[in-house]
Amino acid sequence: MAKHKISTISAIMLTLSIVVSYITSSFPRTFINETKSATLINIVYITILVLFIILIFCNLFKRFPGLDLLDISKFLGGNILKDIIGSFFIMYFTISSSIMLRNFCESLVVIYYPLTNYVFIILMFIFSISLVNRLDFSSTLNVSSIVFPLVLISALLLFCGNLDNFSFKRIYPILGDGFYNTFILGLKNIGAFGGICYLYFLPPMLKEPQKFKKIAVISVIATGLFIFLCVATLLFMFSFFITTDEVMPLFSAARYIEFGTFFQRFESVFLLIWIISFCCFLSITCKFSTNIFNKMFNLSDMKAMSNIFILLIFALSLLPQNYAIANFLETNIYRYLRIAVGFILGITILILANIKKKKVGEKD
Amino acid sequence: MKITSYIKKIFNYSPPFKYQFSLPNDFNKTNLDLPQENLVHSKENRNIFTSLDVNSDYIKSRYNILINSDIITREFILNARGKQYKALLLYIDGMIDSQILNDFVLEPLMMRNRNNMFEGDKNRIISEAVSNNITVRKVKKFDLADYIENCLIPQNNIKQSKSFEEIFSGVNSGNCALFVDTLDIAFDIDIKGFKQRSISKPENEIVIKGPHEAFVENLRTNTSLLRRFSNNENLIIESLEVGKLTKTKCAVCYMQDIANGDLVAEVKYRINNLDIDSLLSSGQLEQLISDNNSLGLPKSISTERPDNAVQHLLEGRIIVLVNGSPYALILPAIMIDFLTSPEDRNLKTIFSNFLRAIRIISAFFALLLPGLYVSITSFHIEILPTELLYSILAARESVPFPVIFEILIMEISFEIIREASLRVPSAIGSTIGIVGALVIGQAAVSAGIVSPILIIIVAITALSSFAIPDYSFSFHLRLFRFLFILLGYMCGFLGIGTGLFVYLSIICDMESFGVSYSLPYSHMENLKNTGIILPPIWKREYRSSYLATKKAKKQEDISMKWKFNK
Amino acid sequence: MRKISSILKKIFIFILIILFITGFSSSYNSLNLDNLAFAVAIGIDKGTSNKLKVTFEFIAPSPSSESGAETSPVLNTVECSSITNGINMMNAYLGKKVNLSHCKLIIFSEELAKNGISDEVYSLINEVQVRPSANIVVSKCNTKYYIENSVPSLESLIPRYYDIFPNTSEYTGYTCNATIGDFFNALVCNSCSPYAILGGINTSDYNSNSSENQISDNSTIKSNESPITGSRVSQNIGLAVFKDDKLAGELNAIETICFLNMRKEVDSFLVSIQNPENPEETNSKIDIYLTPNTTHKITVNLVNGAPYIKIKLEFSGKIYSMSKNSQYLNNNILNSISNSCNNYLETQFSNYLYKTSTIFESDINGLGVYALSKFSTSSKFNDYNWLDNYKNCTFDVEINTVIDSGFLLTQT
Repeated sequence: MAKHKISTISAIMLTLSIVVSYITSSFPRTFINETKSATLINIVYITILVLFIILIFCNLFKRFPGLDLLDISKFLGGNILKDIIGSFFIMYFTISSSIMLRNFCESLVVIYYPLTNYVFIILMFIFSISLVNRLDFSSTLNVSSIVFPLVLISALLLFCGNLDNFSFKRIYPILGDGFYNTFILGLKNIGAFGGICYLYFLPPMLKEPQKFKKIAVISVIATGLFIFLCVATLLFMFSFFITTDEVMPLFSAARYIEFGTFFQRFESVFLLIWIISFCCFLSITCKFSTNIFNKMFNLSDMKAMSNIFILLIFALSLLPQNYAIANFLETNIYRYLRIAVGFILGITILILANIKKKKVGEKD
Repeated sequence: MKITSYIKKIFNYSPPFKYQFSLPNDFNKTNLDLPQENLVHSKENRNIFTSLDVNSDYIKSRYNILINSDIITREFILNARGKQYKALLLYIDGMIDSQILNDFVLEPLMMRNRNNMFEGDKNRIISEAVSNNITVRKVKKFDLADYIENCLIPQNNIKQSKSFEEIFSGVNSGNCALFVDTLDIAFDIDIKGFKQRSISKPENEIVIKGPHEAFVENLRTNTSLLRRFSNNENLIIESLEVGKLTKTKCAVCYMQDIANGDLVAEVKYRINNLDIDSLLSSGQLEQLISDNNSLGLPKSISTERPDNAVQHLLEGRIIVLVNGSPYALILPAIMIDFLTSPEDRNLKTIFSNFLRAIRIISAFFALLLPGLYVSITSFHIEILPTELLYSILAARESVPFPVIFEILIMEISFEIIREASLRVPSAIGSTIGIVGALVIGQAAVSAGIVSPILIIIVAITALSSFAIPDYSFSFHLRLFRFLFILLGYMCGFLGIGTGLFVYLSIICDMESFGVSYSLPYSHMENLKNTGIILPPIWKREYRSSYLATKKAKKQEDISMKWKFNK
Repeated sequence: MRKISSILKKIFIFILIILFITGFSSSYNSLNLDNLAFAVAIGIDKGTSNKLKVTFEFIAPSPSSESGAETSPVLNTVECSSITNGINMMNAYLGKKVNLSHCKLIIFSEELAKNGISDEVYSLINEVQVRPSANIVVSKCNTKYYIENSVPSLESLIPRYYDIFPNTSEYTGYTCNATIGDFFNALVCNSCSPYAILGGINTSDYNSNSSENQISDNSTIKSNESPITGSRVSQNIGLAVFKDDKLAGELNAIETICFLNMRKEVDSFLVSIQNPENPEETNSKIDIYLTPNTTHKITVNLVNGAPYIKIKLEFSGKIYSMSKNSQYLNNNILNSISNSCNNYLETQFSNYLYKTSTIFESDINGLGVYALSKFSTSSKFNDYNWLDNYKNCTFDVEINTVIDSGFLLTQT
């Protein structure tokens, strides 16, 4: 897929830049809406939980060094299972990116391009990623490792720039909507760690596959910290996300930043950075789905296929009739999809494959 | 053609062709682990052998004479006192004065002159005294070495030496070495003859603290400049010919014990496989041998400064010289190299890092500032501070054009002025500046065609593009500025953002002779000496690891031994 | 064939550029600098014939002025049913699109504020262009009159004046940097109440008007009732307190200082206290320059369902006023001044707090936030209904002032 194998740090950057693109979506708001003031506890809880899950993953992967989920499912159930799993993931990748794309573009329409049809904005993204996908995968990877620090800086700036507006007492009442809502219903928020399922396809691309565990653990922790930062900004700053909704919540936090009388309202600079990182996300997703498809049908050249997936994303993103439906899809359907495909499907395959491996090993 | 075949051809799949060459980028494994014995020689100090053939072989292997084009060995028969010895002269073409060599070294050694007439190894009687019938003769035994030094070579500066190292260092600095069969010493004869006068000051790469010598058109002079600066026999200068008609000589220069072998082979492969009629300048060669390049970015540094070239040579890069062109190509080059000036190394580290930051900022301005101005005034007005907004509004009050036209008019007229001032004879060049300044600065504003704010934007952009050390890199920025103006006009920050993404992706995809173009900023790996920040001079222990050099270290951990010597 | 496909590619790129330009051109036209009129302030009044009367303040840039300093405000007023409608009518009138992205001041008239302004605030927040840091002012008078008179006396740029004047609160404490973002935030919050800057016009008959209540203390001034006269008659002193979205009352200068101290938004302020050395003479006062320490301690307890709020504040101060025979390095004197200062501030603070709780019934201090930790879940807090219970509060104010010294003179 890539000309060069991915180094450890680049792999961490890759998973992170997928999560980072959620900065544009409404996920921090959904967090707060659901768990109220206990959000931060919820995030810590979920991060620890995901850390455990990922450790289990790594142990399950240990028996299959250098193989990705497709190879493992081929081992488990032959080519048929491999195709089924592959198409599930392709579906997941394309749907997730198209929903995010549509929502982001709708927000952009609201914010900057009031009279432009959202199709044009989607086209702008589609066109740029179709250009980029003709290039080697490592270029996208490199761009994301240039852009990721910028996004991180923007998130930190959001946090620090708004420190004046914070009231830290807002983490009380400590339990939010109660124990049940925080720890049981709050499990839904595990979907925020959607970047994890990109890890399934990493092992064959890695330069040092033995460091897979390190990559996984670091990216989970960093993802957790990043989400914590974003949500904490919103929670400490606004009372209203508990009751009201706003388009692109972190963008509205950016509007409050001001340093002196000269630096006011530079939220569009944030948006510029986020647009680039969102392009990275789209391009990575597209490359991954192309890669899976190629692996399913043993194609040698992925460039020919990539445009088809881009068109698929384009078509899917046009499907929702209006912003309300798109938003509903993002906050409700997409999250469960992430949990179902990202966590449950992956784990099941891995566990079954491990059992089979054990049996095969016993026979031998 | 049939329509069906036409359609078929349009939708037909053809596997993409991609030329792939890449250096091993396993950065974490340093090349220190490489076995060193495959390098031809270690630094042991050898003494000169008595047999000329052995010496000759040793010299040949040490200087790689088979591939090195400017190392010359001249074998001849030396006449001394009627006896003939095999002898060998070793020198570097371009560094010696061949007139002196012919007249005062070769001629007395080869010709039979009077001094050389009498025969045999008769002892020479220095003095004779007779006392008590005993004749005491002070006799000096015939010594060939002394004889050659004292009688045969009419040269003011000549030394005898037993070790190869001393001889080689003399040869490297432009002397000529004489080896004679049966002698275990060699002569170091000073016949230096650089073309000092024809070398002029560099005109386009000006540094304040640094040598003021520049390459000239003659290939041999240029190689001798490299030899003089590097002063090492591991420098290999290979000669290649390009062009079916012109047969232009090109020299590929590299340090044999430093530069990566694959890289050398690739450069030679590319130069050897050029099917062209003529090659007249290094600029043409650069385009002919660099990888595909849709952005027009330069892929090799072009320098007229030998010190700069040698600096890169010792880093492990390759230099290509073209006969007739006073510019050397340094390969491979990555993006940050074009924002580095030769001045940087001579300055204190903090200043050079400051300058580098300034240059990166100016590259950013030169590329994006007009585009950002257009997009801000068209889509993102809220980002402007209110006072600035009102001054822009006041300035634009009487301007009839929309911002996009205004900026295009100014940018294009500025480019015209720049081009015009380059093309006119230098005597009237300054008048162009005056006319341009008058037209752009004063008249356009007072006529109400453009706003003064825009003049400032265009001026900052222009100044920024002048601050880029590399001319061709600033060309690239000048051109792509218009793309970002268009994108900013079309859809504001969305356009600039997506454009920047595509632009960065293409840059990250590019390679220059197998080295990723965007290197220090994109790859998050343990790279050594990447050039993100220039370390202080005592900390530059490693060569750039992306060049995959044979020797990773270039100085010891503690280079200032005088300070920390224990 | 390659030639044809490259031509096709070029045509495709050309079409794409045209497509994008046409696609974005409408947004471009609506957001282009040349097509916009920037309102720097809007005033919202109760209308006579319609629901609202909206006043826009524009600044006409003086053409090709070298300094760019001469700006003249242009006021336009429209009667409309909603702000959006007003903007729309103004667009038609001006021939340019009104843009609120540089609107620094949003002024509501007292009359309108008393009837509730939540609709207006919600629709302003809904507008992308309005900056959340725009200051919100409740004017005692007609908003048009207020804007007309808000011409800075020391500088020529009106927007800069609008930017700067709320920042004086950091060292005077007489007003507050109340923004529409904060206002909205407090409006939807269940543990705090909104507030705004109190603006007004200094009526020239101030002295005759207020002669009956004879203000002896400078710190009780507020807009419309201040002894300042100058070239500009508008003033912004004091605070407008809202309960929900309705104006509940006003705070004067010293109460604003208390308010800012509770929110830790003031760097330093000045108080005049009774001179402890001759306590009989009411006019013998000492001016003390106080700086709040960071160790403010506010705890909220629920006693029998009613909040019991304990407030412990610490200040360090320096003495400004000097008179004959004062020794401000004497420990005893400093202590007695500290005590006097403590007494004075405690009275002021508790008066202020009880005023907010019993008279205004509005928790502008955001004390509810401190109560959050007493509840385990959000629903319990919602059930408790803090804003309704705020009127039952009991306050216990403890103030600790340490007077260090005077300034240059230490002894006279």
